[in-house]
Amino acid sequence: LWLKGHNFFASFIRAARPEHLSPTVRQRSKRMILDSIGVGLVGSTTRVFDIALRYCRLYSSVAVSSVYGKPGVKLSPTLAAFTNGVATHSMDFDDTWHPATHPSGAVLPALLAASQMLPPNTKPNGLDFLLAFNVGLEVQGRLMHFSTEAHDIPKRFHPPSVVGTLGSAAATAKLLSLSSAQCCHALGIAASLAGAPMANAATQAKPLHVGNATRLGLEAALLAGRGMEANPLILDDIPGCSGFSAFYSVYQPKPLSAPGEHHEFLLEKQDIAFKRFPAHLGMHWVVDAALSVRNLFINYAGSFSPSLIRSIMLKIPVSKYINRPFPSSEHQARHSFQFNACAALLDGEVGLGSFSESSIQRQELRELLDKVVVEHPEDNVANFDKMYGEVALLLHSGDVLTGKCDTFYGHWRKPLSKESLLKKFRSNASHVLPEEKIETIITLVDNLENLADSSQLACSL
Amino acid sequence: MILDTLGVGLLGTSTEVCHKVAQYSKIYSSDLSSTIWGHLDFRLPPVYAAFVNGVAVHSMDFDDTWHPATHPSGAVLPAVIALSEAFPQKKKISGLDLLLAFNVGIEVQGRLLHFSREARNIPRRFHPPAVVGTMGSAAACAKLLALDQQECKNALAIAASYAGAPLANAATQIKPLHVGNAAKHGLEAACLALQGLQGNKQILDEESGMGAFYTDYNPQTLPTLQSYPWLLEQQDVAIKRFPAHLATHWVADAASSVRRKLVQSSENLTPLDKIGKVILKVPEVRYVNRPSPASEHEARHSFQFVACSALLDGSMSVQSFASKNIHRPALRELLCKTQLEHPPDNTPSFDSLYCEVSVTLQDGNTITDRCTTFYGHWRKPLKKEDLEEKFQSNVLGILPTEAMEGIIETVYNLEKVEDCSVLSTFLSGQSARALPKKLRFF
Repeated sequence: LWLKGHNFFASFIRAARPEHLSPTVRQRSKRMILDSIGVGLVGSTTRVFDIALRYCRLYSSVAVSSVYGKPGVKLSPTLAAFTNGVATHSMDFDDTWHPATHPSGAVLPALLAASQMLPPNTKPNGLDFLLAFNVGLEVQGRLMHFSTEAHDIPKRFHPPSVVGTLGSAAATAKLLSLSSAQCCHALGIAASLAGAPMANAATQAKPLHVGNATRLGLEAALLAGRGMEANPLILDDIPGCSGFSAFYSVYQPKPLSAPGEHHEFLLEKQDIAFKRFPAHLGMHWVVDAALSVRNLFINYAGSFSPSLIRSIMLKIPVSKYINRPFPSSEHQARHSFQFNACAALLDGEVGLGSFSESSIQRQELRELLDKVVVEHPEDNVANFDKMYGEVALLLHSGDVLTGKCDTFYGHWRKPLSKESLLKKFRSNASHVLPEEKIETIITLVDNLENLADSSQLACSL
Repeated sequence: MILDTLGVGLLGTSTEVCHKVAQYSKIYSSDLSSTIWGHLDFRLPPVYAAFVNGVAVHSMDFDDTWHPATHPSGAVLPAVIALSEAFPQKKKISGLDLLLAFNVGIEVQGRLLHFSREARNIPRRFHPPAVVGTMGSAAACAKLLALDQQECKNALAIAASYAGAPLANAATQIKPLHVGNAAKHGLEAACLALQGLQGNKQILDEESGMGAFYTDYNPQTLPTLQSYPWLLEQQDVAIKRFPAHLATHWVADAASSVRRKLVQSSENLTPLDKIGKVILKVPEVRYVNRPSPASEHEARHSFQFVACSALLDGSMSVQSFASKNIHRPALRELLCKTQLEHPPDNTPSFDSLYCEVSVTLQDGNTITDRCTTFYGHWRKPLKKEDLEEKFQSNVLGILPTEAMEGIIETVYNLEKVEDCSVLSTFLSGQSARALPKKLRFF
């Protein structure tokens, strides 16, 4: 039985059961939950988080939901979701999927906030929580598959603000056990809350895209739960009157098989990428390539001697918002092929500290940036599944050293090991939480399916 | 515009959609609070007051419309009023401050709409209030908050990331939220900018900025403030006479006129029974083409429904959209006989469209009338008495007479009002007696 978009999604949200979660999907999604929390915790130390939190505290009346890294603070559910979503994306350190979006940050904060909102005798258990999380991911993935445009690095609307809002609505609708009709309306309402332009990427406002996606999706579900109704055909393509298609130039909703006995989640076939340092995903290829050529250079010259370098050639895909020769802020630096390549060359690694004000303004770094030349080979497609990064050092001596990276460590083709993922989490969380709390969270997530009251997770943050 | 918007909003507080959002928003009450129009029993934080009141304004599609097309006031007025009540440092805002901020919010919307030729036509993709309305609200609030230049740029940049809602939710219960959210998010953007949040200050120039919402975005430089030519000076708004999509107003006037001719020319007491066919010549506007609307939201967005309603009753009113009227058999029968035609010269623009209603009787006689400019359109604006009558009719039953008179008086003398919180006092239903002596002026 094949269903049209709107019917499929509403039925899927209702019909999904814990039994549908395969072991692979469970494992991958728990990794995502852990990484997302860690990234949110370290994100709670950023300036943008600070602003968002100060703003939200103006409205803290029904303050039941926890805020990452602030044990004494509670906010109303949608504002807690907002703040935590901002934290998650504040440093561009959160996960990335294919087709391109940041799926977890748009879903997890809403679920955490909602879990604390429900009365004690109706708290969802850990398995319900994990299921709702996966419903939120799945909806995002399915929607992106309705547009070929979505497979490439975005140019117009920032995907988390488009599909993320609907994913959050779906996940929350699942957690709150809304009826099929209500689930349908939650998605329709969410569509009217979706969409933020790309031009705010590489600015301090970008983290709000994820914050708003998770918060407004939660809001859409809450409104639907109270009887608000929207256009049930919002996912259809109707010429002359755009629905969800408004966000794409090419939109082809496909009928989907009814969620039945053996529904296969997209996460089974397509894993996520986790970042090793807080910058746009595209940077990770270029950094690994730069580190590789740096090693060659050190073998060649005995040490990293910038004066021997005449020019640095970067071979990257075409993507305006991550091509920045001289970034001036941390947000711009996180979205600059040039900056990340040079930081990797200079320091032998890229980490949290690489994006501090002093690091960005370093004289040696600016000098290296001066030597960078960019090329866009035709075969280097702006697509996270196909792109590569190449860094070539053209020396004054005439020699050329090259490093190339097709698949960086952390990409879905070369996933982070369990140890690496835990290391990232512990390092992130240690910025704001003591060791015992950190280990508690790790244990809770690892055993999520066995948790009787999932709001414990939110309370532990 | 301010008076009409307040009246329409007050009436709108009685709608189901408004009840729902108010219930929802009550989750978030806090210390900071602003008035919910028509209510003394509860208040909400400014952002949610802006939201609820914005929803009220657009709940029945009764609010003003501009050219290029948007509903400008509903996105701005609720936000500036809510903000004026909950000002940081409890500063007093004068009526002139409010009026200026309001106009800044309208102007910004107009200027942005002029950056796209597509915007001159009735929309097809994004609902304009959700796009430019959010920006207008942010601008108006930034003005009221007296943000510096950098902060203003940031307010607009942040607002852009909240903008945009697809048109397909028009003719549903959610459409009013487009205006509510525009007001709410614009206010939020300005507040975040005040807290120091920064966005892309070139967002209005970039294709991947505001340009994301249009296929033909072409930002231009604007005149300097020296003898500034306000758009509202050159181009007035249209005020609706009944709560439905603007395009249906042409149809209503043409249909009413046809009915008059029918009744006059007939000796029969019920000439309408003899109608064989109704043909409407209208522009092609997909979301207002509904042969058989089932809900009030659909009925407000249906050429066919309004034509038949006007033919049956002689004129349109708030009551035309009551459930019993939407479903009455005589109307459904007439709807079955109604067809649309889209003449190529009938362009889908509120500045140039026309509607022609042709009724063919069973005996073969045809009566036709064409409306090029309905009463209430900017080319034929409502007279003062009629604007007031609309306001009074809307507010009757929602506010006591004294509060109603108080609002009219305050709005007409807005520039002289020292403390615009009097407006909020009246909006919550209190009378002049509730005001401290020094604030009264009659």
